[in-house]
Amino acid sequence: MAKPVIEVRNLGIEFYRSRRRRMSLREMVLKRQNSAPSETFWALRNISFDVARGEAVGLVGGNGSGKSTLLRMIAGVMLPDEGHATVRGRVAPLIELTGGFLGELTARENVYLAAGLHGLTKEQIDARFDEIVDFAGPQVQAGMDMPFRHFSSGMQVRIAFALITTLDQPVVLVDEVLAVGDRAFREKCYERMENMLSGGKTLFLVSHSEHDLRRFAERGLYLASGHLKSDGPIDEVIAQYNADADADAAS
Amino acid sequence: MIGVSQFRGLMANRQVVRTLVERDLRVRYAGSVLGWVWTVLDPLLMALIYLVVFTVIFQARRGGHQPYFLHLVTGLFLWQWFAQNMTETSRALLSEARLVRSANLPRELWVVRVVLAKGVEFVLTLPVIAAFTIFYMITGQTKLHWTIVLLPVSLVLTFLLSVGIGMILAPVTVLVNDMARVVRIVLRLGFYATPVLYSADMAPPVLQKLLLFNPMSGILELFRSGFFKGEMNILSVSSAVVLTVVLLFVGAFVFKRLEPAVLKEI
Repeated sequence: MAKPVIEVRNLGIEFYRSRRRRMSLREMVLKRQNSAPSETFWALRNISFDVARGEAVGLVGGNGSGKSTLLRMIAGVMLPDEGHATVRGRVAPLIELTGGFLGELTARENVYLAAGLHGLTKEQIDARFDEIVDFAGPQVQAGMDMPFRHFSSGMQVRIAFALITTLDQPVVLVDEVLAVGDRAFREKCYERMENMLSGGKTLFLVSHSEHDLRRFAERGLYLASGHLKSDGPIDEVIAQYNADADADAAS
Repeated sequence: MIGVSQFRGLMANRQVVRTLVERDLRVRYAGSVLGWVWTVLDPLLMALIYLVVFTVIFQARRGGHQPYFLHLVTGLFLWQWFAQNMTETSRALLSEARLVRSANLPRELWVVRVVLAKGVEFVLTLPVIAAFTIFYMITGQTKLHWTIVLLPVSLVLTFLLSVGIGMILAPVTVLVNDMARVVRIVLRLGFYATPVLYSADMAPPVLQKLLLFNPMSGILELFRSGFFKGEMNILSVSSAVVLTVVLLFVGAFVFKRLEPAVLKEI
């Protein structure tokens, strides 16, 4: 069997309980102590699973169960403290979509910059530029030379989504981004995701929408307080998640 | 091995580095030469001030190499590049937090990119130094020496040294609140601990030994030697080379060690 596209082994990451643990030299020198709290907790621990090429996996779990953190480690923008997450091939991360975009630059410059950051050469971007703009829609097309911050947040997300999905990377990570955009654009997004799936891409999806999960994912992973609670067909995993959530609500 | 894999990662992404450097320069020089004027004006004015203070007011017998103005200009231009590298690299990860968070790139790239962009700005100011040199050559106050060919070496050393220190400053500034202030103070001290205004051979022997521990001292000597008498203290230059290499490896190590913590913070 071919090697898995995503290989996660004994993954663990530890966080400080207060989000900010920034230290101050002044305090360290003058008071010989650090006022920043040093209590830690494991946001994720002992996570192991494989994802094969072309598989579509949905990640479920309550708020704060570590879904986004896991996705970030797979995307390589956060590093684990234990174990490893290996991805074979480049990743198209649909996480914090507009993160790579800068408000002062025009939309056009932003497309070149962000695509460049994801490894495309100038010629490759030239070749795909029209496709990206087309997908983002006519309103966007008219304002490509406008500063990016003048776009509405929905428009910004459209450009970013169009760009990232045009990168044509073998692995696609999706974090709750399908909820944005108006109805028409969302339908376009769904269509594009289905095309990517049938094109043999590997999909890793985080969502709270049962509808989205059932539509795209075959397999489900259920995270609860930092541990992998179950791994199986998406319907069973969703059923288990709902049962747990109901039990919590009842108690 | 530490450093080697990081270097490979950077080389694999040199296209990205180029894109970012071009963007920096575009923002800085957006549509005008005014950006260039600022880079040149600041050290030139400072050189003028020091010239007046030391030769007219203090009437120092000898300020450094002669002509003293050229001595000041060469020193201040190179120092400006180095000093900007320090302040900018210490902010490198914080100021681009959104990009750092959203792209899976070797994080060292954010440091290298700043030093490179500032380096291009510095190279663009070299014609000013050349113009003054030509002026003083025509008036017979100085002549070029063969060691001018070592000038590129001094630039490469400044680059490597800045990247090395920058790889320490960038992650530490993310984790420690008041690091930026410390950098500012140390830089001000460093300015006087580097033979920018004076020349190293004017210092008393004890201080000359201390200067050996300042890599910028040897690098500046190498940079200047071609413009003046062509002599340089081999000991201080070799000490600068050794310190630069050491700091580069220390920087690479520190950066790798702090990287996971930094990514959680930004």
